[in-house]
Amino acid sequence: MASVKMKNVYKRYDGGVTAVSDFNLDIEHREFLILVGPSGCGKTTLLRMVAGLEDITEGEIYIDDKLVNDVQPKDRDIAMVFQNYALYPHMSVFDNMAFGLKLRKIPKEEIKKRVQEAAKILDIDHLLDRRPKALSGGQRQRVALGRAIVRDPKVFLMDEPLSNLDAKLRVQMRTEISKLHQKLNTTFLYVTHDQTEAMTMGTRIVVMKDGYIQQVDTPQALYERPSNMFVAGFMGSPQMNFISAKVEKRGDEIHLTFGKDDIKLPEGKAKKLEMSDYIGKEVILGIRPENIHDEALFLESMPESIVEARIELVELLGSETLLYMVVDNVDFIARVNPRTKAKTGDIMKVAFDPNKIHLFDKDTERTIIN
Amino acid sequence: MRRSRIKKYTLAVFGIILAIFWISPFYLVLDNSFKTKKELFTSTIGLPKKIQLGNYRQAAVDLGLGESFVNTILITALSILIIIIFSSMSAYALQRVKRKTSTFLFIFFTAAMLIPFQAVMIPLVAEFGKVKMLNIPGLIFMYLGFGCSLGIFLYHGALKGIPQSLDDAARIDGCGRFRTFWLIVFPMLKPTTVTIIVLDIMWIWNDYLLPSLVVNKQGMRTLQLMIFYFFGQYTRQWHLALAGLTIAILPVLIFYFLVQKQIVKGIISGAVKQ
Repeated sequence: MASVKMKNVYKRYDGGVTAVSDFNLDIEHREFLILVGPSGCGKTTLLRMVAGLEDITEGEIYIDDKLVNDVQPKDRDIAMVFQNYALYPHMSVFDNMAFGLKLRKIPKEEIKKRVQEAAKILDIDHLLDRRPKALSGGQRQRVALGRAIVRDPKVFLMDEPLSNLDAKLRVQMRTEISKLHQKLNTTFLYVTHDQTEAMTMGTRIVVMKDGYIQQVDTPQALYERPSNMFVAGFMGSPQMNFISAKVEKRGDEIHLTFGKDDIKLPEGKAKKLEMSDYIGKEVILGIRPENIHDEALFLESMPESIVEARIELVELLGSETLLYMVVDNVDFIARVNPRTKAKTGDIMKVAFDPNKIHLFDKDTERTIIN
Repeated sequence: MRRSRIKKYTLAVFGIILAIFWISPFYLVLDNSFKTKKELFTSTIGLPKKIQLGNYRQAAVDLGLGESFVNTILITALSILIIIIFSSMSAYALQRVKRKTSTFLFIFFTAAMLIPFQAVMIPLVAEFGKVKMLNIPGLIFMYLGFGCSLGIFLYHGALKGIPQSLDDAARIDGCGRFRTFWLIVFPMLKPTTVTIIVLDIMWIWNDYLLPSLVVNKQGMRTLQLMIFYFFGQYTRQWHLALAGLTIAILPVLIFYFLVQKQIVKGIISGAVKQ
């Protein structure tokens, strides 16, 4: 069992900068928890506090119900993988992996066995005699993982471990780390600024901004039901489109108007909105690129949510096409079928899937309806 | 094409002239150390008619070679050892502990390099004399003081190139600060260490002025001090002095040729992305 609990954790630096504010989180055993957010949001600081590399200004951190605030990193039973691998350049791969075990005075035979086992899992058993200098980026990352595995720690901490790899290798290592998590069956705490990594790997994701938690949820839930505009914009690539719209009530119907465009909200969403006091007010309408359609079939079936768009750029990606367009002077991106007939400069009609519309409060940026 | 060839030859000629300038003192020392005293003055540049190995034998006896050689090695080795230990550890602390006091102390240490030795030597020796810290122990202590500035300066620069994450990894692996430094960081500073060793060997081994002020006991004299005794008030035994000089130069030269590759590495380390 290895759970991690954080209670009202704060980190303030001498200069008065607060990196982490009132952080509360329970990470369960075997969870693959991802901390994601833009750079400077405090995610790495938090990870370093769990590792014991950074002092906690206020609050409590528990590993397996044991308060670890004043416990040395080596006694926390954690292992960490760093962004730049942090391999010891003057030691061979074997010594790099064995170093922590040697310091713990584990018998030589046992060390050898453990290193070889870990090397086999990571497919680096033929590299044990080499120095890090003689390895490729991907191999170095495996050694860094190996160094963590041999320790058999309660919690794995990973600080953007894939960001130094090229795109292809990153995708490959992503799946390998996920497999590793399933194989090792321990708790993983993983920091990244890459929302794709977060979405694909995590069992739960914590989205952070300016030291505060924005939302904690499963990848699917975060994507479909973001709690505010920041999360909605951060998760998903290309990001969600936003436009300011006015809520109007016409008889039983609720409409959203922006410029000369007008969208009728479906009944379910309309009912929810009616109960709130947003009628007659400005809100932010959010819609994901894949929920904007240009096919005739959609246009026919959604006649009440059609808007006019000017196509600025058509980007072919093979399996899909991105349309960069302008709707009422606001830039939008739509992800459409590659068979689209849209061309740069076209003025065409597109349909917003009204069931997939998100509405946010203009002032607080909190979600009104998902 | 032609122009570039002319340029190449001109450069070669300049190079050769420079090399001759450079080598000539070594040639003169070595060449004349094999001559008799008389021959040395009649044909200074020419090769010796008969190689006088006796000069070396005599010089070794007069230098008290066994004793002075051991003294010089002892002083050089011990001084460099403690300079390396102190300056690398101080630089590590100053570079890794990010406080204003660290910056201040670092500037303080490096600024000390600008103070000319001659400006402080008399009061220094007087003060050390008062606390009875002269001769070899005092000398080593003084070399530590004079040598640390450059050591700290060079180590500080080299440490900037060693990522903090290595320290973190070592801490998680189970090292305290001390072991992190000695097991992980220090081995990575090897090129800088070699550079400092070479620079300091050439300085301490060849130093005459400081030992001449500090050493006043018969059995504690260094090679350089002993060589000076070939130049008496009335007699100057050039042939013996030059043989003695050759003996004194040789160990440093050999060492220099052995490690010169490392020195270049140390000087350019951190200049380019590896």
